Parts: sequence; structure tokens; C-alpha cells
Amino acid sequence: MRDDETFQDLTRLFAAEDRALEAKSFVDDVMGKVRRRKMVRRVFLLAAGGAGALLAALQVPNLLGDWILLDGSVDTTILSAISSAQQQAGLLASANPIWLAIAGVVGVTVAAVTTMERT
Amino acid sequence: MRTDPDLAAEAARGSEAAFAELVRRHQGRVRGMARRLTGSASAGDDIAQMTFLTAWQKIGTYAGGTFSAWICAICWREFLQVRRRTRPEIEFDETAEIIPFERPSDQQDDRMDLSRALETLSEAQRVCVVMCVAAGLSHREAAEAIGWPLGTVKSHVLRGVEALRKHLAKPKVA
Repeated sequence: MRDDETFQDLTRLFAAEDRALEAKSFVDDVMGKVRRRKMVRRVFLLAAGGAGALLAALQVPNLLGDWILLDGSVDTTILSAISSAQQQAGLLASANPIWLAIAGVVGVTVAAVTTMERT
Repeated sequence: MRTDPDLAAEAARGSEAAFAELVRRHQGRVRGMARRLTGSASAGDDIAQMTFLTAWQKIGTYAGGTFSAWICAICWREFLQVRRRTRPEIEFDETAEIIPFERPSDQQDDRMDLSRALETLSEAQRVCVVMCVAAGLSHREAAEAIGWPLGTVKSHVLRGVEALRKHLAKPKVA
């Protein structure tokens, strides 16, 4: 026996009540809030991403300058190149702490995306 | 006509139109459920709105099956959250016969027989009747949504339906 066989008459009564509810204004309200949430998320991500991009762009001249100075120490083999790149990244981070701020902004952006992204 | 799973898949890809169609299809059931759980039209509609907003965020987790069971489970969780915020001292106890439930008096005059009959049930019976009889979930779906044993849900539905029928069969006093 199906679950609802014993109370289909009551189910019909409840369903009639539900059908009488006005749908349009409710749907409009919900979709309005959905759109607002989407917009807030977009603005937040654009602002965070823009700030990160601006900070990164401001550092490009310094980065290129440091890279050229350090470039002479880069070996030709892949392994030593990776190791050298790691050293250079470390040197850059210690020489210019703004990279920590950039990493922070990226972290905040990723956290924002993780929090607000639809799963 | 597109099925609920098709619409949900489109909504998961970002289609607002598909999600709006899902809201339109299921708003009656969800609002009815929330209104009956809270005993208030405005509080019920607030919970129903939160339910659909949560559904929009989590639509990607809908893995097929009955969409109404999925959305009603979200509605139940939203109801519990609101309930905990407003009356944190009351824990749900499905074994209790009568649990006090604060209900606004502003709409008492408008209540239909069905609503009045629901109010005569213990809260556990009312929850099970609302989920299975009014929202149309199967016993199993309701048990999964509210986290109670299947046998308990069945027994509450059985007693609740019996009590509803008795109440509705009573002659009206003019």
C-alpha cells in the first residue's frame, strides 16, 4: 500500500489551499533577492580582484627590475632553474613585503569566492 | 514541459529563468508547509523565501530524485534555524505529546477548518502531517528530511490523520 493512499482526500484539501496562494509577487520577491545577491557578489569580487590586480600592476616595475638583476644566477638545467626560481621568489618576498599583501588579497578573494560561490 | 531535474540542471548552470520556473512550481507547497509549521502567513513566507534563496545557492547539490522532497528538506532546516533563533529554549522532542508553540493571534479569525484542526495535534504529529499529508512527501522522504526514525514518522502520521479526521467530522456550532 502506498503511503498516501489513506489520506489522499486530506492531501487534496491542503493542495487546494496551497494553490490559492498568489504566486507572482512571491516569485518576483524571491527572484529580486536572487538578482541582488548575484550583484553584490559580482561587485565584491570585482572590487577585491581589481584591488589585487592594481597592487600587482604597481609591483611590475620592481619585479622586472629585481628579476633582471637575479637572472644571471639562473642555471640552464630545469632542476636548478626551479630551485633558482624558488630562491628568487624567496628573495623577492623578503626584499619586498608587498608580495605578502598581494598574497593576502588573493587569499581574501579566494575565501570570498569559496563563501559566496554556489555549490 | 521541462521536468524539475532539467530545470534544476539549467539553474545550476546559472539560468535564472529556470530557477524562477522552479520557484513558481513549488512556491505553493513550500509556503503552505512553512505557514503550517509556524502558524503564521508572514513568518511562513519569510521562511519560504529563505528556503528558495538557499536552494539557489545549493542547486548544484541537487542530485536528482524528487525535487519537492529536496526543497521541503531545506524548508525544514530553515524553519528549525528560525525556531532556534526565536525560541532557543525549546528543543524538538518527537516523543513529547504537546510542546508549547507560540503562535501569533493576528490571523486566528481567518483560520480555516484545516488549520484549526492542525492546531489540535501535538507538534510532532503536526510536523509529520504537514510533511507527508500536506506537502506530499513519502514517509521515507519525510523521515530523511527531519531526521526521525521511519516508524516514528509513520506512527505520528497515522495518529495525526486520525485526529484531523475526528476534528473535521465534528459538527460546526453556529
